[in-house]
Amino acid sequence: MAEPEVSSKLMPLAEAVKKFIPDGCRLRSGGIAVRKPFAVIYEIMRQRKRDLTFLMSGWTEDADWLIGAGCVDKLEGSYLGLEALGLAYCYRRAVEKGIPRKVLIEEYSNFGMTMRFMAAGMGLPFMPVKSQLGSDLLAVESFRHPKAQVVEDPFGSGEKVALLPACPADVALLHAQRCDEDGNTQVWGQIGDDLWGTYAGKKILLTVEEIVPTRVIRRDPNRTIVPGFRVDAIVPIPFGGHPYQVQGYYDTDRAFRKDYAARSTTLEGWQGWAEEWVYGVEGHEAYLNKLGEERLAHLRAKPVMSGKVNYGY
Amino acid sequence: MAICAAREIRDREIAFIGTGLPMLGGMLAKYTHAPNCIMIFESGVVDARPKRTPLSIGDACLVPGSVMLCGLTEVFGLIMQPGYVDVGYIGGAQIDRFGNLNTTVIGDYHSPKVRLPGSGGANDIGSLAKRTIIMMKQDRLKFVEKLDYVTTPGYIDGPGGRERAGLPRGGPSCVISDMGVYRFDGATKVMYLDSVHPGLSVDEIRRNVSWDLEVAPTVRKTKPPTKRELQVLRTKCDPEGIFLGA
Repeated sequence: MAEPEVSSKLMPLAEAVKKFIPDGCRLRSGGIAVRKPFAVIYEIMRQRKRDLTFLMSGWTEDADWLIGAGCVDKLEGSYLGLEALGLAYCYRRAVEKGIPRKVLIEEYSNFGMTMRFMAAGMGLPFMPVKSQLGSDLLAVESFRHPKAQVVEDPFGSGEKVALLPACPADVALLHAQRCDEDGNTQVWGQIGDDLWGTYAGKKILLTVEEIVPTRVIRRDPNRTIVPGFRVDAIVPIPFGGHPYQVQGYYDTDRAFRKDYAARSTTLEGWQGWAEEWVYGVEGHEAYLNKLGEERLAHLRAKPVMSGKVNYGY
Repeated sequence: MAICAAREIRDREIAFIGTGLPMLGGMLAKYTHAPNCIMIFESGVVDARPKRTPLSIGDACLVPGSVMLCGLTEVFGLIMQPGYVDVGYIGGAQIDRFGNLNTTVIGDYHSPKVRLPGSGGANDIGSLAKRTIIMMKQDRLKFVEKLDYVTTPGYIDGPGGRERAGLPRGGPSCVISDMGVYRFDGATKVMYLDSVHPGLSVDEIRRNVSWDLEVAPTVRKTKPPTKRELQVLRTKCDPEGIFLGA
């Protein structure tokens, strides 16, 4: 067997964002409160990208920051808030007052969005769902016309379904625990909308906590959710999901999230926060230095190891 | 409210749980009268047994000890949509007499007074669970004649409303507010007051509803929390006081 080639997908964060996220692109992020690609979000802000259409099932701080930074003009998704910590104030200022600019949102339910990603990932034009019927999620349109269609089962059962259009992305972000140098990617813990959301990307920009030898992946292939040939760029970036958690690596930085929730309620508070944690920080390494080793050590996960299975035959 | 929510779950039921008070309700039920109920979270966790209070539906503490981990598509698509979820919990910023909910905007949709988070999984839960339990604070601005936006359908416009829309099943079975517990008339699908929380009167409750509220002829006082319920809630469900306060 010939020697496999050395991966050319590995690249630094700034280069990956520059190369794969052009102004005006349709960008999918993900994570539903786990493994969110925050390091990429910070870098998009630092590079002051414009006119992005941001796609996701459940946004939190990631979308709020991009909106506050003026990087986004359209959203397709289902939820934007800070969960138990309250409302997303950059989003409120943008929708209610046009600060820093007006954003438009086309809304679906969580299940609806993930089925739209599934359609895109499978190369289909739409998917049917049984939710959203009878609600304003179908009746009120923003910028997609039509945003959905209600049809009767063509096979005669008389049942109604809502058809939702596929939601392709120019580039999908995924933050994973680990991959090998080819981008064969493994995640564990909750998957959220990451499976279909990632496959909805024409290109995939992957960030990982660590790169492992390919034999580690091949010893446990059931844990792989994306094969390397679908991945376009790999950025190894420890704590790339901070301030959220990554199963087996670190916990949520609750103090960081609470601080953001409190400060972002005013425009001045948001600007001060962004200066402190984004624009005044050169890159991810400087960000980690600013957090400090003690804080990171406190967040590091304690071991809860899985059992082993026999792959033999 | 968390205690009332817990009392609505029966043992061996499959419950779809959201962040905050529903989470405490689910955990309380499991530690008291419903040890075999199964809690499902939309981030993809089946039968979670968390050892601390989860801050969000995706909290990593839901993972160790669960029976299955998958994704949002799978829990909604394979468990919720075909009808395997007995009970789902949802909240709202506005509710009407038919139990329809708004969590999207206050005011005009295209230039709102307050932009709220939106549906998330709420519409899916309200559309597809066998029954839903609504938990929300109550005042005249929340219990309204007409919603500014229908995020999640209750009984829509009354009897047959869900069927006409094409929904396969379900609808709200009760509303738990900070003032009382409401249920829905089987024939008219209109919400009525079923029990009044301790220390409040029916008149006070009427003043906090903007339509002419129907009251059950047998309206009673909500059963006060038992010592055991309070103890389990404070020591096992939320010892840090994240949702209950210090």
